[in-house]
This record gives sequence, structure tokens and C-alpha cells, in this order.
Amino acid sequence: MNARRPMKLMIVDDSNIMRRRIERSQQFEDLQLVGTAGNGVEAIELFKRTDPDVVTMDLTMPRMDGIECISHLVALKPEVRILVVSALADKATAVEAMEKGANGFLNKPFTDRQLNEAIAELMR
Amino acid sequence: MMLSGTERRRQLITAGVGTVLTLVMGAVLFVGFRIATQMRASITALQTASSLQNYPDDITQQLTSLRDRLEARAYSGQALEDLQGTVRRFDRQLKELNATGNVRSAELTRALQLWHEYGPVIEPVVSFNAQPYVDSDTSGSSFSREGRAHYAEVKRAQLFATDNAKVLQAQLLTLATSLQHDASDAAARLRALLSIGVLAALVLAAAAAWFQFTRSRHERAAREAQEQTRDILKTVREGFFLLDADYRIGSVWSEALTRMFGRDDFAGLSFEELLKDLVPAATLATATKYIKLLWGERAHENLMKSINPLGQLEISMDNGHGGKETRYLQFDFHRVMGPAGIKHVLCSVGDITSSVLLARELQESQDNANAQVDMMLAMMHIDPLQLVSFLDGAETGLKLVNTILKEPARTDAEFRKKLSGLFRELHSIKGEASALSLSSIAARVHALEDIVTELKKKAELSGNDFLPMVLKLDELLAHLRSVREMAGRLTALKESAAGAATTAFTAPAPSAAAAPPPAPAAAQQSGTRAPQYARRAEDLTPTLHALAERLAQDHGKRFRLKLAGLGDVPAPYVATVKDCLIQMLRNAAVHGIEAPEVRRALTKQDVGVVSVAFQRSAEGFDLVFEDDGAGIAPDSLKAAAVRQQLVTEEEAAAMDTRTAMALIFRPGFSTQDEVSMDAGRGVGMDVVARSVYALGGKIGVSTHPGKYTRFKISLPAGQASSTAVA
Repeated sequence: MNARRPMKLMIVDDSNIMRRRIERSQQFEDLQLVGTAGNGVEAIELFKRTDPDVVTMDLTMPRMDGIECISHLVALKPEVRILVVSALADKATAVEAMEKGANGFLNKPFTDRQLNEAIAELMR
Repeated sequence: MMLSGTERRRQLITAGVGTVLTLVMGAVLFVGFRIATQMRASITALQTASSLQNYPDDITQQLTSLRDRLEARAYSGQALEDLQGTVRRFDRQLKELNATGNVRSAELTRALQLWHEYGPVIEPVVSFNAQPYVDSDTSGSSFSREGRAHYAEVKRAQLFATDNAKVLQAQLLTLATSLQHDASDAAARLRALLSIGVLAALVLAAAAAWFQFTRSRHERAAREAQEQTRDILKTVREGFFLLDADYRIGSVWSEALTRMFGRDDFAGLSFEELLKDLVPAATLATATKYIKLLWGERAHENLMKSINPLGQLEISMDNGHGGKETRYLQFDFHRVMGPAGIKHVLCSVGDITSSVLLARELQESQDNANAQVDMMLAMMHIDPLQLVSFLDGAETGLKLVNTILKEPARTDAEFRKKLSGLFRELHSIKGEASALSLSSIAARVHALEDIVTELKKKAELSGNDFLPMVLKLDELLAHLRSVREMAGRLTALKESAAGAATTAFTAPAPSAAAAPPPAPAAAQQSGTRAPQYARRAEDLTPTLHALAERLAQDHGKRFRLKLAGLGDVPAPYVATVKDCLIQMLRNAAVHGIEAPEVRRALTKQDVGVVSVAFQRSAEGFDLVFEDDGAGIAPDSLKAAAVRQQLVTEEEAAAMDTRTAMALIFRPGFSTQDEVSMDAGRGVGMDVVARSVYALGGKIGVSTHPGKYTRFKISLPAGQASSTAVA
């Protein structure tokens, strides 16, 4: 990993509160927020413009859900690292997301520490 | 892996030692061969040297004999020839000895030098070939001129040989001795070498024996290890196996798998095949994807563990007696790493059926305990009189249920009639229990209702189908008894508390105290179990408010309950009025009053209103029940009736509004497709109507879709007047 260039973060979640929660909780100096999106379609547009390295992805969203969005993002940039942040405790969904190309899974609700650990794991 | 490393090292050592020993043996043999060759040369040289020792003397003697011959003028040819032969042989052998190169000694050099000195002296003698004598008649034989010279040379040579023979002989003897030393040295070396060879051979044999020994020890250890592995795999309670890159099971697995999966052909079986017939297709697909992810190294082990979809897998398999059995298995996966990445995935399977069931039981007993506490709390809020009246009523109802169950029935129609009767009784008990928030009783009755509903769906009915109900009924009766006991204790507690406070006995509860004294006719069942509480006309207000509150909460509705004149209900009508109100209140909460957001959208007040008024009328009494909810649309009633096959589509189409509205009083009718505690069973308004008719009353309904529904029940004055104490 390039230690010089800060990594770019994109947050995808249909809940405004959750977006801000993730934005405020993450504590990485070398992780720079480039944008947030409220659904899969927005996320893909934003992704094309900002080319993030790390994405946090909600699964249940209007217009295009997270699983489908992950496939698109991975097709655009195979090395992107995606953390699924979802309240769906269903293991089958987690497996599905991982299969589509997600790199980590975090269940809602989460603590700041859990979030930071999950992101750290992703940036490794 | 450890074993094979040791094994390889051991083999390397064996090969190394073997090579070294073989090289040593080879060297010994080679050197031995060289020494033996040398010895042979030395011995030949020694023989030569030994035979040479006699020559100097022989030469001297032969010279002397030649000289004697010449002096006697005798024939000297033979003697000369002998000398010539001896000299030639000696010369040849000496030169040969020197030429072999094996002998390099000062003695040989000196002997050669001396022999060289012999040369000038003896050479003229041996090269003589003239006639030594001339014969004359006068003087006989005399020397010829050559003969005289020859004689002089012989004399000189004989003198030289006599002087030097000993020296030469001594040199040759020393040479022989030295050669003998060489030979015996070589022999000693050879012996030493052979000893080394023998020693090396012994070491080689010992090493071979040692390696054979360690090898067999290792083999034994390996065999023991194998046996231990087998024992572990045979005994361990978890199922263990390895999956290869093709998601196939390896050749080694623990026997617990056989018990868990009821098969023993695991080797080479794919993971998918293992689960195929045991789990639903969706679960199988997820499991397969998960295994694939395990083989990819993208996700670390902890993450994979956290998303393991097989942590508690419910499988359904044959129990060996023709039935199915549900079991819970827990799969755990661990990657086995090799030098080139993931080598295998170790899969462990545990049968967690008992712990899952135990957890469920715990949950159930906790729920039961919670229900008991809830029940206690609910009971504390219920007027004891009301509670006793409910318990009496419920018990009577259940006895009736029991009677219905025992009624002889043969035909399907009879069975179905039985079911209808059971249903109505149970439904009304459940309604009352819900109204009093006695949820544990309500839930039990609900379960009984469920059985009836299931039976109704059956094509053919028999007496045996009713057996489960009898068991449930017994359990419910036992529960009622325990509730009654609890109620008795609670009352005693309240009484003692009240007694301590006022030291005067009034009544167990204020509402009961305010109630009028008991009317003998109203006491349908005199309290034989609780004689201190004869049934009295009860105050319906708290019951209805409690029910309204519960209904609003359960169905997410908001409404206000306005009650008027309920205190005036004549005692003979109390039970019916109560039943009717409970049913109508439930209908209003489920079907009538809209959800707050719907009401808002319709520009109605968020909080709905349900009003109940009981009043005297010209003919007797009127009970008016009204809600400001959605009203009843005749078309939806018709549609529901068609859906439930109560009427045909043609009949429905032909119905006018009034006939359609009358559908709600038909037995089995419901607009709610999903069954809840409060509506959807299709029993309700028909019970209300029937009980009203039974009292000689009438029931009417008027509604405006989107605005209100109003039921008006008219009861005659006659029945009440004889007994009423309102």
C-alpha cells in the first residue's frame, strides 16, 4: 500500500444518520472521505467520479441494493475494498455479499471500536 | 509432516554413512591390492636375490676349475662353457632385478658396482674362443700363444674372484635381507589394512543393524501414531474431515460422521452431496458459496467465522423408524495452510441438538415464568369478584366443551357440528380471558382453537382426531385451578392488608363493595369453590377499558372508549351485554378504527372514538355501540363471503346492501384472512346475534363507509324486570 497518498473513503447508506455516524466515528488520518451516497445508483456515479479505495456499503437501499452495487463497483475497480455495514443478521446475505466481492462485514448496531477495527482490517 | 521430515533425515544419514563405509571398504581393497602386488614383486625379487647369492662362489669355483684344467693342460672347453653360462645367468638376473624397479637399495647398487668391476677381468675369459693348446709329438700339449694369454687372464680373474666373491656375496645377502624386510613390512601393512577392512565391514554391519533397528522403531512409532489417530477418529464425538480444493472429503474422517449423517461413504464425497438431501436448496447454495469463499484467501479466518452460515444447521433425516427427525449440527471450518497457500479446509461437525433444545426449553420456561408473573400482575388489577366470575364461567364453558367432545358422533356432519360448537365456546372464553388480560389462559385457549381450525380443514374426521384436544383441555383446566388458587391467595393477602388497615371487614375490593348485594337468580353458578364470593352483577367498565387498552396496543390503533349507563344493565343481561361488548370492541379495534396515519390522511382525528351507551327504551333497553372508523363496505363483505365460500358469486352479486350487511351475523364469517387473537376466526358477531336472539332481543347495524359503524341491540324489558336489580 502506498503510505504517502491518503486512501479515499466513500460511504453508502440510505440513512443520513448512519452516514454521519460512520463519517464521525472513523479515526484514520490517512483515510479521506470523498463522498457519501444514499443508494446504489448514486454510489456508482460517485464512485466513477471520485475513484475511492475504501467503501462502506449498506445492503438494504432504495433503487439499487448493496449486493448489486458491490458487483458494479468491483467490476469498475477490482482492487476496491468494500466493508458491508448492515443490520441484516442473515448469514446467507453476508456470504452473498462476500461472494460478490465484499471484503468485510459489520453488523449494525456497531460500536466505534468495531467500526475502526473493521476498517483497519480492510486497509491492511 | 513432522514424521516425514524425520524420516527423510534418517534416510539421508543412512545413505551418507553407507556411502562413506563403502568408500572406506573400496579404499582398503584398492590399497590391499596394491600392497599384495608389491609383495609379490618383493617376493620374486627376494627369490632372485637369494638365488644370486650362490653365483659369486660358483664363478670363483668354476674359474679355479678352469685354471686347474689349463695348468694340467687338460680339456678346458667344458669348464669354460660352464663359466660362460654361470656369468651370463648371473649378469642377466642381476640386471633384471635392477630393471624391475621394485628394488631400490644401496646394497643392489653396490652389488651392481662390484659386478661392474668383475666385468673387465672376467669378460676376456668368457669371450675366449681360440684353441688353448698346441700338440707336439715332442713335448706333448703345450699352450698356444692365445692359450698362454688365456691362462694369464683366467689366473687374474680367479684371483680377483677369490678376493671379491665374499664381498659380492655379502652385498647380495644384505640385499636379500632388505628385500625380506620389505616383504614382511608389506605383509604387516596388508594385515593391518585387512584388519581395517574387517573393522569397516563390522561397522557397516553394525550401522546397518542400527538403522534397521531405528527404522523398525520409527515404523512402530508411525504405526502407533496411525493407530492413535484411528482411535481418536473412532472415539471423538465431533465429525472431522478435510476438504480438498475440489470441495471433496478426504480419505480420513471421524466415525461420528457416520452417526450424524447415517452413511459411511464419505471419501471423495463432495460437500454439496453431503448436505444435498438434508437441507433446503437455498441453504445448500449458501453453504456452497461459503466453502468457495473459504478457499479464496480474501477474507481472514475471523471474518469467515463470523459469517459462517452453518453455525446452527437444522437438518431433517430419517430416524430409522420410517419417520423424520430434526437435528441441529454445528459446522466449523479451519483453513489448513501449506507452503503454497491453503492446502485443506478442516471441517468439524458437532451435534448440538440437545443444547439447542435445552436453550429452547429454557426460553420456554422463562416465557412461562414471565407469563406467570404477568398473570399475577394482571390478577392483582382484576376485581376479585370479576376474576371468580370469569373462572366460574370459564370452567363451566370448558365443562361444556368436554361434554361436546364426549358427545357421540358418527357422520362427518356430526363431527363438523361438534367442531362448530367447540369453537364458539372456546372463542367466548378466549374473549373474556383477553379482556381480563389473562394472557396465559387466552394463549392456551387459542392453542385449542388452533386445533379446531386444523380439524376443520381436514377432509375426513374421526373420533381420534379429537384426542389431542382432550389432553390440552385437561392442561387448561389444571391451569385454571392454579389460577384460582393463586387468586385465593392474593385475595387473602389483600384481605389481611385491608383488615390490618381498617380492622373492619367490608369486601375484598372497592368496586365489589360498591356493587349491589347478590341477586340469587344472577348467581348462575353459586361459588361452591369460593363460597365467599357469590356471583354479583359486575361492573363492566374496568374490563372494557382494560380490553380497549390491550387491543389498541396490539393492533397499533388509538381510540378513546366512552361508556355510558353500563351501571344500569340488569343482572340477567350482564353476561350477554359483556359478551356482546367484548366482541364488538374487538371488531371495532381490528376492522373499524383505522391506524393513526390513515386517519390523518383522511383528515379525521388521530384518536378514534368508540362509544357505548346503555339506556332504557320504550320496549326495554337499548345498547348502542358505535365507532368512528372505516365503516363496513358491503362489497368487501360480499367478496369475503365469496372467498370463504359462504355464498356463491352469483348470490353475492344478487345481494342488496341490507342482505350483505347481514353477512356479518353468519356463523364462520370473517373479513380477516390472517388469524389473530382478536379477529379472523370467523366467530364473533354470529355469537353476539345468537345470544341477543336468545334473550328475545334484536340486533341491527348501520354504517357509512369511511365514517362510522353503529350496532344497536334492543333487549326486552320483560326478562330483566322479574329479576333485575340494577
